[in-house]
Amino acid sequence: MKKIIAMLLAAVMMTAMLAAVACADGKIVVWTLANDLKQFAERYTEQTGKEVEVVVFDSADYATKIIQTLGTRSKDLDIFVGEPQMLPNFFEAGFAADLSELDAQVQEQLVGYTYEAGKDEDGVLRAISYQATPGSVIYRRDLALEVFGTDDPDAIGEKFSSFSAIVETAAQLHEAGYSIFGDTGALRWFSISSSPWVKDGEIIVDQDRLDYFDAAVELYQNEYVAFAPEWSAAWYASMAGALPVNAGWNDLASMDAGTPQTQVFAYVMPSWGALIIRDNAQENKGKFGVCSGVCSFFGGGTFLAVNEFSKNKEDAIDFIKFCTLNDETAQWWLNVSNGDVVSSKAVLEANKDYQNPSFGNQNTYGFYAKELEKVDYSLITGYDDTCKEAFGAAIVSVQEGKQTKEEALKEFYTVVTAQYPELSVPSDAPIGK
Amino acid sequence: MSERMKTNFFRALLYFALIFLAVICFIPFWLMLINSTRSGNEIMTGFSLLPSNSLMKNWEVVSTNMSLGRGFANSLLLAVLNTVLVSYFSALTAYGLAFYRFPGANVIFTVMLVFMMVPAQLSMLGFYDLTNKMRMIDTYWPLFLPSIASPATVFFLRQYTISILPRSVLEAPRIDGAGELTIFHKIVMPVMVPGIATMAIGAFIGSWNNYLLPMLIINTPAKRTLPVMVAELSAVRDITTNLGATYLVVAISVVPIMIAFCFFSKHIISGIGAGAMKE
Repeated sequence: MKKIIAMLLAAVMMTAMLAAVACADGKIVVWTLANDLKQFAERYTEQTGKEVEVVVFDSADYATKIIQTLGTRSKDLDIFVGEPQMLPNFFEAGFAADLSELDAQVQEQLVGYTYEAGKDEDGVLRAISYQATPGSVIYRRDLALEVFGTDDPDAIGEKFSSFSAIVETAAQLHEAGYSIFGDTGALRWFSISSSPWVKDGEIIVDQDRLDYFDAAVELYQNEYVAFAPEWSAAWYASMAGALPVNAGWNDLASMDAGTPQTQVFAYVMPSWGALIIRDNAQENKGKFGVCSGVCSFFGGGTFLAVNEFSKNKEDAIDFIKFCTLNDETAQWWLNVSNGDVVSSKAVLEANKDYQNPSFGNQNTYGFYAKELEKVDYSLITGYDDTCKEAFGAAIVSVQEGKQTKEEALKEFYTVVTAQYPELSVPSDAPIGK
Repeated sequence: MSERMKTNFFRALLYFALIFLAVICFIPFWLMLINSTRSGNEIMTGFSLLPSNSLMKNWEVVSTNMSLGRGFANSLLLAVLNTVLVSYFSALTAYGLAFYRFPGANVIFTVMLVFMMVPAQLSMLGFYDLTNKMRMIDTYWPLFLPSIASPATVFFLRQYTISILPRSVLEAPRIDGAGELTIFHKIVMPVMVPGIATMAIGAFIGSWNNYLLPMLIINTPAKRTLPVMVAELSAVRDITTNLGATYLVVAISVVPIMIAFCFFSKHIISGIGAGAMKE
């Protein structure tokens, strides 16, 4: 017994030592949270002969892992990625190297907000993205024809152009037996339409946000939505066909066959959401179209940054240039990813006439390119996630009748100022004294 | 009603309750097995108690996206090391604290109790920095060496040893001239086996399922343990395509735990019976 233990220990120590010796030797190490970059790396190695190792981490723990590792000024990785909402933290901590040398090129070649989102507070470029994630209303063309007599994206876009128009559209759809959205959460993407959530240290709730509030409550209370929350089983199922009203988070198999059925007319999602809908549409594939909503927005996206402590910065920058500023790569990615919207202006322009069979032969890239130009990045602040979440919670409490609108708004201000004490409630806030 | 019918009635009730409980315990496990044969889309849209036909597809996703064998080997290595270290060193410490009188013994014991109360997550950041300063990031050392000191196990084994091992048992070998370590190995350890086995199961399962620490410490994909690989699998593509595959890996990864349990439980059961007889 003792001998076995001793031998086992010795064996382990040997492997542990060996493992410690093997280390980076000129190859570029990339830490990321999705598989995309593996394909970029393969292609890069094919073309340049330089080796790239891509390590994928679970997105739930990715930020922790980066903060923990780069917090010790680790040289183990050369490139890391971040989604727009993670980037400010990474920049502030000094993890991302200065990429100013590429500034002019990025501004010239990449579309709309993707240039702005990669800059830190002082306007220094520190991250670049190969993709763009413009938002859209993704609607059912067949239902549109039936109810409105047209499935033209511009005409349908009109029906989603303001919160009051949405309520009207919802009523029409309701009459025809359809639901406008899966649930009222879809409206949250339009929460930054005319003013930022925070301006000069004050939390802004303008008329647009109040309209958003009222519309969400109205849709809910009139049962204009299908009550199938985003990411629920019912929500996925709604893309392929009819589902029982008020499925909620319940299992579809357990629902009574006799309950009234409805169909979901539209989804509000960034471009990657359109792909999810396409992939779950089954029989409905090809019956969808995309149009603009209350405002243009974006959501998510992978930005690449160079580790400030890397010994391999030159090579790392070269790889990032390959992924983001090379139009040939962008065209290749657009094809192999099967529909990802890339950040390259030139490639979006080149594909603007492509008729996408998954979306009723619409020119989706041309549409997204236009939407991207309309995204107003100056309205984005670091407080957005917190504000959106608190505002959403306020809406829910009114929908469910737990609070009046005024109480809910008061609580919204309290929640946000509790998290960010530096913010204040403006004197003209829409709450009583 | 006769006495016999009454007994039968209660027995039937008892069996019914037990079967009911067994089914409740088994259903989640069964669902996991079933889900490993279903496609992501099917799992998303509802649940079923009957297998579907996506097992091979799921397996393909698993085998193309992760090196299952590698993850298994890594996890097993760490689990075995942890189990061995926890068992041996905790037993040694527990025996020392239980049967030797030396100055400070109580202080040491109290300190251990205090450390038992501190959740492991709290010390995580400091531990990471320490590992980094010792240049042990991306190695296995920090994942198994700390198990030499496991206060909770020592505490349990100390109480256990005191309760089952009379001091007089140690006198005979001492008179015969056995060394203290020999006494521990030849006399005390065999007596402690049931207690050690109980703790060993916990150590094995704990190490096998450990996610947070290996995730933070290990950078090289080839050195990853199974739970970290599973998390990566669910990240590599759209969640709907990988859900079934994730279930499949989880189902496979449960097998060693069941084997370990079967292996150790024999000793646990003999341990429960051990104190029942009066000498």
